[in-house]
Amino acid sequence: MVDFARVQKELQECNRDIEVSGISVNPKSDNLTQLIGTIPGPLGTPYEGGTFTIDIVLPDGYPFEPPRMQFATKVWHPNISSQSGAICLDILKDQWSPALTLKTALLSIQALLSAPEPDDPQDAVVAQQYLRDYQTFVGTARYWTETFAKTSSLGAEEKVQKLVEMGFPESLVRSTLEVVGGDENMALEKLCSG
Amino acid sequence: MEDGVGSEEDYYDSDRESLDGLENEESDPQWVPAKGPSCKVITKESLLAAQREDLRRVMDLLSLREHHARTLLIHYRWDVEKVFAVLVEKGKARLFAEAGVSVVENHDADSPVLSSTETCDICMEDLPSSEVTKMDCGHCFCNSCWTEHFIVKINEGQSKRIRCMAYKCFAICDEGIIRTLVSKRHPDLAEKFDRFLLESYIEDNKMVKWCPSTPHCGSAIRVENDEFCEVECSCGFQFCFSCLSEAHSPCSCLMWELWIKKCRDESETVNWITVHTKPCPKCHKPVEKNGGCNLVSCICGQAFCWLCGGATGRDHTWSHITGHSCGRYKEDREKKAERAKRDLYRYMHYHNRYKAHTDSFEQESRLRETIREKVSNLEERDSRLRDFSWVTNGLYRLFRSRRALSYSYPFAFYMFGDDLFKDEMTNEERELKQHLFEDQQQQLEANVEKLSKFIEEPFDQYDEDKIMEIRMQVINLCVITDTLCKKMYECIENDLLGSLQFGIHNIAPYQSKGIERATELTVFWSATANDTGKFHKPDEQTGGTTESDRPSGSGSSDDNGCSSRKRAREGSFGGSLFDLNLPADVIDRN
Repeated sequence: MVDFARVQKELQECNRDIEVSGISVNPKSDNLTQLIGTIPGPLGTPYEGGTFTIDIVLPDGYPFEPPRMQFATKVWHPNISSQSGAICLDILKDQWSPALTLKTALLSIQALLSAPEPDDPQDAVVAQQYLRDYQTFVGTARYWTETFAKTSSLGAEEKVQKLVEMGFPESLVRSTLEVVGGDENMALEKLCSG
Repeated sequence: MEDGVGSEEDYYDSDRESLDGLENEESDPQWVPAKGPSCKVITKESLLAAQREDLRRVMDLLSLREHHARTLLIHYRWDVEKVFAVLVEKGKARLFAEAGVSVVENHDADSPVLSSTETCDICMEDLPSSEVTKMDCGHCFCNSCWTEHFIVKINEGQSKRIRCMAYKCFAICDEGIIRTLVSKRHPDLAEKFDRFLLESYIEDNKMVKWCPSTPHCGSAIRVENDEFCEVECSCGFQFCFSCLSEAHSPCSCLMWELWIKKCRDESETVNWITVHTKPCPKCHKPVEKNGGCNLVSCICGQAFCWLCGGATGRDHTWSHITGHSCGRYKEDREKKAERAKRDLYRYMHYHNRYKAHTDSFEQESRLRETIREKVSNLEERDSRLRDFSWVTNGLYRLFRSRRALSYSYPFAFYMFGDDLFKDEMTNEERELKQHLFEDQQQQLEANVEKLSKFIEEPFDQYDEDKIMEIRMQVINLCVITDTLCKKMYECIENDLLGSLQFGIHNIAPYQSKGIERATELTVFWSATANDTGKFHKPDEQTGGTTESDRPSGSGSSDDNGCSSRKRAREGSFGGSLFDLNLPADVIDRN
């Protein structure tokens, strides 16, 4: 059974210093076993300026078993599958420790974005490009960031605008949009029902 | 190095034994090995003791507590010498760190009296100090979180190496704490945990293996020096320690594996069928072409082209089928058929001889009974002949040499075949070696058959002079076959395998006295053995065992000489220990 008391505390803790870290974790639904995390692309990398959403599923044994995390945003990175978003990171596998939290795991993923490990790749095509033709790699990664990690955030402002004009308070609109992963229609539905 | 010397000693010993046999002093029909026992049977009673023996050595040398010693030994796969080597090479700190052992010097003094409550970093609750536990590595979490962690790890099959919960802490948790905490919530799981720790001595130890008998006898065998040997468990099962299949020396494990597979698959037959027949395109039965042209018709009536296997019409000439052309080059196929035929004959040659000797071996096993009868008949007769140990000795020598002989055929099949050593010998070399080996083999074969003939004679009906003559023959042939076996092994080791580049073919050395029978590991338990694990063992344990297990000196021949080789095991200590009749994972599966 997932330790929900701890998950609740983790969420509070994480969202308290959201301003500093830029990292947020929100439940996908009422059920606390499915969450959505977002991390900002680290500065000075091809991922800068993008916002990446990560699907999180908590196994029954959490926190004694690692959470399952996967990129929902498409990303071009040697250790992240360009197809499925699967992440190759030791702490999400055998190096997991119950003392780690969702936030520390997301921080590690952010660190992975700034320091790829092409020798232990998840996506062989990306890794090969990274090693053989670094410039092209940077170009592709930046292009993917622009295409997949930014449009939603650029569009997000417009969506916020649109929903605020419908008469919902801005802060609520922002948090709701985040919860549903930027989907305008879902956000509207949620705002109307709640 | 050591092994080499050891086996040489074996040879000298066995030489002496053969001479003894000649003088009829050797009267023990059980073929207890001449050298000190190097194989031990570990039963459920002695497993804990066997484990403690190694634990004790490490605990004494490094002044460690038992659970630390166990962690260390599990990490180094119960190789005490390795532990000592790492200690010398890298020092105590590295030795401990690599195995995840964290030793706290003053364990009792550091219990925190600072605050009455502690925060557990896992569940993020504040708890009274009484509900938290601090491990040797210094990390402190609440009991409930520890318990949950242990349960997850034990269920993952990680019992032997449960690490601390703190991130990047590689310390292995104290087994005592694990046991206490887990048994409060899941007594079954705690028992399973204990069992895994105990069985680690067998599972993680390259010198100890479960006896492969089916149904499993519950014992394991420990060898001392050489893992390439053949042993007999106390249940009577004989096996190759290295690959756990039946004893197969002088075949190497790889050769034996290939041979068994070949015999099982009858792959040569399959080979022949594929080369000489074609499946009918209609009914798919294999069709053999028995002559004539390339238009073949199956019994189902379908006609097809023999060259390509495709269905055709029936109109044809000798060289051409109407409306059909496949233009297959024919010669290649004939060569292939030729080759398959040759390989099959070669295999049949070796297999027939292997099978013949295995069969005689089985028939001769039945001789045991007849021989007993003959001996008792002779003993009833009033004669000056009193000692009949030469009969049983002859019988065992026959078994032993027959065995070596029968397994020497699959050996030769691979040694001189194309499968394994094709690139290691030129054809001339191979031919030379084959002659050398076959010469040895044939000599042995002739003498084994002679020995068999004499032993099967109804000598209990003969008069004394004739018996004396047979006796001399048998004793003589015993020495000859033993020497020939030894020579054959020498030839294999020195001239055949010894000259090869790759040393993957290790064979169990020839034991004049047959496969070594593992002796029981005897331990004397104190009354509280199971609780505290205290026990007394004789100072020289191995010595003690040897003496008690070996029949004293040159006692006269027993008439229960051929008694069952299975010895009853006492189960008196097993009560509160685990049922080791099956390994843990088998039980789990059930």
